[in-house]
Amino acid sequence: MRLFLPLYMAEGKAFDGAQAMLKFILRRIVGILPSLFLVSILVFSFVHLIPGDPIQILLGDMATKAQVDAVRQEMGLDKPIWIQYGKWIGGVVTGNMGNSIFFGQPVLSVIGDRAETSILLALLTLVLILAIGIPVGYLSATHYGTRLDQTISGVSMGFASIPTFWLGLSLMTFFAVTLKLFPSSGFPSILKTGNWANIRYLILPAITLSAPNSALIIRLTRASMLDVFKEDYVRTARAKGLRESSVNILHVFRNSMNSLVSALGFTFAGLVSGTVVTETVFSLPGIGKLVVDSVLRRDYPVIQGIILCIALLYMAINLLVDIAYGWLDPRIRYN
Amino acid sequence: MRRKFRFFLSTLLVLVAASGVSAATTLRYATIAEPPSLDQQVLTSDQATTIAQHIFEGLYTFNKSYDPVPMLVDKENISADGKTITLTLRQGVKFHNGKEMTSADVLASLNRWGVYGVRGPVLYAHIERVEASSKYVVRLVFKDVFAPWKSLLAFINGGPVIYPKEVAETATKQPILENQYIGTGPYKFIERNPGRYILLEKFADYVSRTDAPDGYAGKRTAIFDRIQFIPVTDVGTRVNGVKAGDYDYAEQISGDLYDMLSADPSIVTVVNEGVMMPLMFFNSANGPMKGNAKLRLAILAALDSTAALQVAVGPKNLWSANGSFMPKGTSWYSQAGLEVYNQKKPALAKSLAAEAGYKGEKITFMVSSSYKIHNDIGLVFTKQLKDAGFNIDLQIYDWATLVSKRGDPKQWDMFFTTHGFVPDPILFSFMSDAYPGWWATPEKQALAQDFTSTLDDKPRRDAWTQVQKLIYQQVPVMKVGDYFMYDIYSPRMQSFGESQLIWPKFWNVSFK
Repeated sequence: MRLFLPLYMAEGKAFDGAQAMLKFILRRIVGILPSLFLVSILVFSFVHLIPGDPIQILLGDMATKAQVDAVRQEMGLDKPIWIQYGKWIGGVVTGNMGNSIFFGQPVLSVIGDRAETSILLALLTLVLILAIGIPVGYLSATHYGTRLDQTISGVSMGFASIPTFWLGLSLMTFFAVTLKLFPSSGFPSILKTGNWANIRYLILPAITLSAPNSALIIRLTRASMLDVFKEDYVRTARAKGLRESSVNILHVFRNSMNSLVSALGFTFAGLVSGTVVTETVFSLPGIGKLVVDSVLRRDYPVIQGIILCIALLYMAINLLVDIAYGWLDPRIRYN
Repeated sequence: MRRKFRFFLSTLLVLVAASGVSAATTLRYATIAEPPSLDQQVLTSDQATTIAQHIFEGLYTFNKSYDPVPMLVDKENISADGKTITLTLRQGVKFHNGKEMTSADVLASLNRWGVYGVRGPVLYAHIERVEASSKYVVRLVFKDVFAPWKSLLAFINGGPVIYPKEVAETATKQPILENQYIGTGPYKFIERNPGRYILLEKFADYVSRTDAPDGYAGKRTAIFDRIQFIPVTDVGTRVNGVKAGDYDYAEQISGDLYDMLSADPSIVTVVNEGVMMPLMFFNSANGPMKGNAKLRLAILAALDSTAALQVAVGPKNLWSANGSFMPKGTSWYSQAGLEVYNQKKPALAKSLAAEAGYKGEKITFMVSSSYKIHNDIGLVFTKQLKDAGFNIDLQIYDWATLVSKRGDPKQWDMFFTTHGFVPDPILFSFMSDAYPGWWATPEKQALAQDFTSTLDDKPRRDAWTQVQKLIYQQVPVMKVGDYFMYDIYSPRMQSFGESQLIWPKFWNVSFK
């Protein structure tokens, strides 16, 4: 237990330490609000600046300018941009992001449906990344310079270079079409059906995504551990006669975890929001594809809502990573 | 360790076994994209029509020869002067909410479509009034004789499908909501899960016509209990999905896979006979093309449509270098004006351009990267035109940007699009003076008047031939040719026949 307790708690200064952390968290949360406000202005402006008309896309090729103008007016899209922004941000504050122009459904419900896929896929991928990346990276670092290390480095570079669409389609052809072990594509909701067996739809996409990301974590684990190997306290630990495995796990690996946590945090955020190619190949209803499709359809409320949610996700993960630093490295103080 | 591995393996096997569970009478259709609303009156999305035609029906529909024939109408009566049309409705037709369809529903639906519908105003511009004479009789009184009335009532895409009065009367310019998807079709709307599926279910109280099935017309029998339309944007995934048994039918497969899939015993290919027409529009309202037919003829002379179609579509049986705006096999087919189509004569183009006073001014050509065929043909044409001495400024945009820019006559000189098959030339986009390109010459308007003001077939077809001839003289638009899309399905399906119609339909179709 001592291993993961910050110094302020271990030294019996739990109250002061917890108070400092609470203050730190509150300060960061308050700091998030102006950032989100800025993001909301930027995304609203950019979305409305790009050429293209959501109503023309909705009504189709044959709709006349008069018909398009009439619907635009009915939806309030003809109003000055600051009035549209005021109406939108007023709704966001009260938890109403408006309705999707394309789907005609509330933006939060459209995003919520996709979030289930993206979050589950990201978690499953993260488990695979951790299960592969950390042990292999550890092995590579502890066998630095050997043939094993060189092989691992070569193979991981190979995985990092495989195009996702090629790997996805190949896995699909082999495991879904030839062996019929997994479904080829799609993802029926687990939340709506309560059927956890649907997780099988995410296994091939998770393997596809974990290949390049595991390679990254292997390289990072190896590099971070090699940096720590040079530290004085590692030499001291060895000098006082600790077993090599204890030195590697308790002193080297643990002290190399900060950069890993940071990388894993942002890998998770990237997996939730930016896996367009994998989502397209496996036809998954995820966040990344929703962003791209909504931009192509100029579905303003969905683009705005989703970018705001992604910004919030990154800020939350950033905060969690900072808190985790304190737990992993007791030398870090929140004040 | 071994025990853990065994546990993992058995869990995996349970999951894999569960994957085989699916309802035997659910048809799973992989669509190329998600449709917007299914409201047929105000939208012209083909994706929406493919789904919505199972839910909604109109007064008329098209048979296999693309002639308009009755659907919800039982019989029609046309007055001697051709200006009053009396439609007697079929009795006992039920909406999905259990209510019987009457003239009040038809009147409300036609009026909503006539005012707000995307194609409705074309018909309503000629209509004096529509009235419900009795419970099952509707009367259309025209200001003048308007020949294409039946085709406009029969074309479901952007057409007057019949909603219950309560829905139609409250509907405005915006598409109706999902809880208002109430029609008279063989399937009823159950739910839409964005990104996942749209689900339809067999309508138990469906009242079908009794005449033999013929194209979209005649008897409709819902055999599948449910139909699930699933968006699968990647073509490789659609193909793999049908092969793996996850989908039963997948639409719009790319031409380069045609030969391979045709030889694959685990898949059946079916060509869609609804011909697609790539079109290049010229700006008649502004820029160097305005009023300069000779310059447009020069451009026409330079182009090689055969090469463009070969590059963009691929297999020879999926395209045809046909310049007639209505395809071969229809009674509208005509060779009028085709002597200037697909000439491949850059030297002639240069001399015509010189005669037209062209001195190398920039010609802005807009093409969309959102559709492969637009992009491919656009690139081939740009090369051919540059080789013939034209200063082409190729601008490639996503579709939303192109659609936005083409509305402004100052932003372009030529743009590229594709037009789906229409059973009556009145439905061509360029027949509207307001469509981008803005072809509205007095000659066109006079011929269009001849074309619409006679109810007799022969004079109408002759008038259309004259319109096509005029198109090849004034060149407001250039037709590249015809191409056909094809779909694939599982061999366990039956009763499709040799080809699909414009929008694949799944009544009268079943599993073996």
